[in-house]
Amino acid sequence: MSKGRVLVAMSGGVDSSAAAALLVEQGYEVIGATMQVWDYSSCDIEEGNGTCCSSIDVDDARAVADRLGIPFYVLNCEAKFRAAVIDPFLKAYLEGSTPLPCVNCNTYLKFDHLVRKMKELECDYLATGHYAKIVYDDNGKASIHTSTDDWKDQTYFLFTIDPELVPKLLFPVGDMKKPEVRAYSESRGLVTARKKDSQGICFVGNQGYQNFIKGQVDASILATKKGLLKRYPQGEVMASHDGIHNFTIGQSKGLGMDHHEKLFVIKIDAKDNAVWVGDEKYLYASEVDVVEPRLLGKVQDGETMNVKIRYQHKGSLAQVFKTESGFKLKFQEPQRAVTPGQAAVFYRDKELVGGGWIIL
Amino acid sequence: MNQSKIFHYFDHNATTPVCREVFEAMPDFAQAWGNPSSIHWGGRQPKNILRDARKAVAEAVGASPLEIIFTSGGSEANNTVIKGLFDYYQTAQFLTAEQRLRTHYMCSAVEHPSVIKTMQHLKSLGARVDFIPVNRRGEIDLEFYQAHLSEETALVSVMLANNETGTLFPIKELAEKAHQKGALFHTDAVQGFGKVPVNLHDLGVDFASFSGHKFNSLKGSGFLYSKKGSNFSSLIHGGGQERHRRGGTENTLGIGCLGVVAKRVALIPQKMQEMETLRDEMEKQILAEIPDVLVTAAESPRLPNTSSLVIKGADGETMLMSLDIKGYAVSTGAACSSGNPEPSPVLLSMGLSREEAQNSLRISIGWETTREEIRGFVETLKVVVNRLRSLKNDEGDSCHV
Repeated sequence: MSKGRVLVAMSGGVDSSAAAALLVEQGYEVIGATMQVWDYSSCDIEEGNGTCCSSIDVDDARAVADRLGIPFYVLNCEAKFRAAVIDPFLKAYLEGSTPLPCVNCNTYLKFDHLVRKMKELECDYLATGHYAKIVYDDNGKASIHTSTDDWKDQTYFLFTIDPELVPKLLFPVGDMKKPEVRAYSESRGLVTARKKDSQGICFVGNQGYQNFIKGQVDASILATKKGLLKRYPQGEVMASHDGIHNFTIGQSKGLGMDHHEKLFVIKIDAKDNAVWVGDEKYLYASEVDVVEPRLLGKVQDGETMNVKIRYQHKGSLAQVFKTESGFKLKFQEPQRAVTPGQAAVFYRDKELVGGGWIIL
Repeated sequence: MNQSKIFHYFDHNATTPVCREVFEAMPDFAQAWGNPSSIHWGGRQPKNILRDARKAVAEAVGASPLEIIFTSGGSEANNTVIKGLFDYYQTAQFLTAEQRLRTHYMCSAVEHPSVIKTMQHLKSLGARVDFIPVNRRGEIDLEFYQAHLSEETALVSVMLANNETGTLFPIKELAEKAHQKGALFHTDAVQGFGKVPVNLHDLGVDFASFSGHKFNSLKGSGFLYSKKGSNFSSLIHGGGQERHRRGGTENTLGIGCLGVVAKRVALIPQKMQEMETLRDEMEKQILAEIPDVLVTAAESPRLPNTSSLVIKGADGETMLMSLDIKGYAVSTGAACSSGNPEPSPVLLSMGLSREEAQNSLRISIGWETTREEIRGFVETLKVVVNRLRSLKNDEGDSCHV
């Protein structure tokens, strides 16, 4: 007897491949789906012309699905991906912030479009290869917790999930460590077992985000983003730069100037295109404002929680205060390189409670 | 995973199951491994296979064996005629003054991509090309056709039957009109072969394309009918195979199998009636049991096996997936465009709205389809459509599959 029908989002990577295989073994009726979100033919060296599923990742996902004997579909979401992920990504850089496209992809594609597909295809659950756990408390209430593999934990990207959706989610690899996932995939003969982890942002690839922006935004628009590098805080002009989109807070390499001290980007001002550089000490801040909050659980005003301000951040204790548009975070220790456009995500011990977007 | 699931195939316009007769004949054809062009003993058996198949195929479609050119399938046959004629009129040495003026090409707006795209290619090479409109009733615009036909028209290409709606076009009448202006006429008969009787002599066409896999034979095999005396340049230059019309060592396995299925055409009139009865019953049940369904081009003569439905408020791709999960194979448009988010160009050019095209489902039954399968399908479709409609009412629109 089947434990229910699951739609599993298969990216063609090892984690979601293993997720699908685990679900099959656990006795679910599994349906695989890959969202075709971007025409990779322009960045792949391999053949692949036109719009028709040319990406190798789609082929890999299909191969895994075939191996598992499950139905597999490619869902074309290119238009939605462009509108919900690519366009805001470009806009953020042009406005001097550092975007977090994976959250938008989760918000508007994985945990929206696929949820819709899940319902349409009469599935009971939606599964992904995220490193995260669904934990049920004594009252049967489901919440999202950090994964067993601390290093891989991806709950940071999941803070926008609708709490009502949580009981419908399955994260099959969340209680495994990455090497176990690989070993498992290998043991099941999945073609993706030894595939390299995707690095950085899927649609940017190896070219670097600056080159990606160059390829996507008209040169005449990029030209309007040129400005001056100024010394923080006095404002003496150090050099000129080719556009604020080439900078991110905390950056110290590639500043395009010759200087005897090591300087860091402290602030990016989109109004006059000034990029402020200065000593590392100016990177530290104790108070952070976040907007557009999304909550999976309740937050007591002034409650101290563990807060991550970027994906690779291990988290720091902060008091969380409600404000009109979101939250103010007061960290116990000053935080380095708080970056507008990134998310601040709150945890109560291992439980993902919510988060919001960092503003200047 | 679902070993208990029973599979029902309602997508015969995409391809058809290989029939028992072909399976049984295949080992002999495969073992005749010699090159048919060889003069020694190794060439004799394969040569015989080609000869027998050519004869059987010619008989099946009302042609003479010398008018049959074996190809890799329908797309190659279509490309061969269109590009080959264009090239011939551009390069042949002994053309009449009247022939040299023929730089105009026409096809219907609902042709298979192997015709439409080839015509667009000719356009890029300098030919004048017109696409004859077809309305949503399935009627080809005869006025447009007549008005655009001229002494400059080299070739008209109109399919015998449309793959998506099943519409049968009045080929005989269209060919006569072309001939009155001295133009040649080609019909892509791929979808008709095995579903309706095809007699090329009666139709009076100059060229016709056929594919093996649409009629229970193998993929990678097909043929082009080229009426005696019709000239065109080869698409594939090579050895002198197919009387210098198509280079390349012959696909004896595929060609042999074509000969086998060709002998089954005698069954078509009876199978046609059986399919038509089932198809009509199915449409009647669907229309009676599912509200807001339209049958596209039901007003015009159609293939007996095809039904193109517009099911309001239900996305075609999602219906396809839902039905697939339950074991029913159907299609939303041409199978070669799957993965392509754009709605069917055929339906759009017939005047259906984008939404109607996206809400379309194509059901194409086959010789083996049973009444029980049809009944089960209608029941399943009803459940799927109700579900999708109720979900659609719950939420706004999301990104399109």
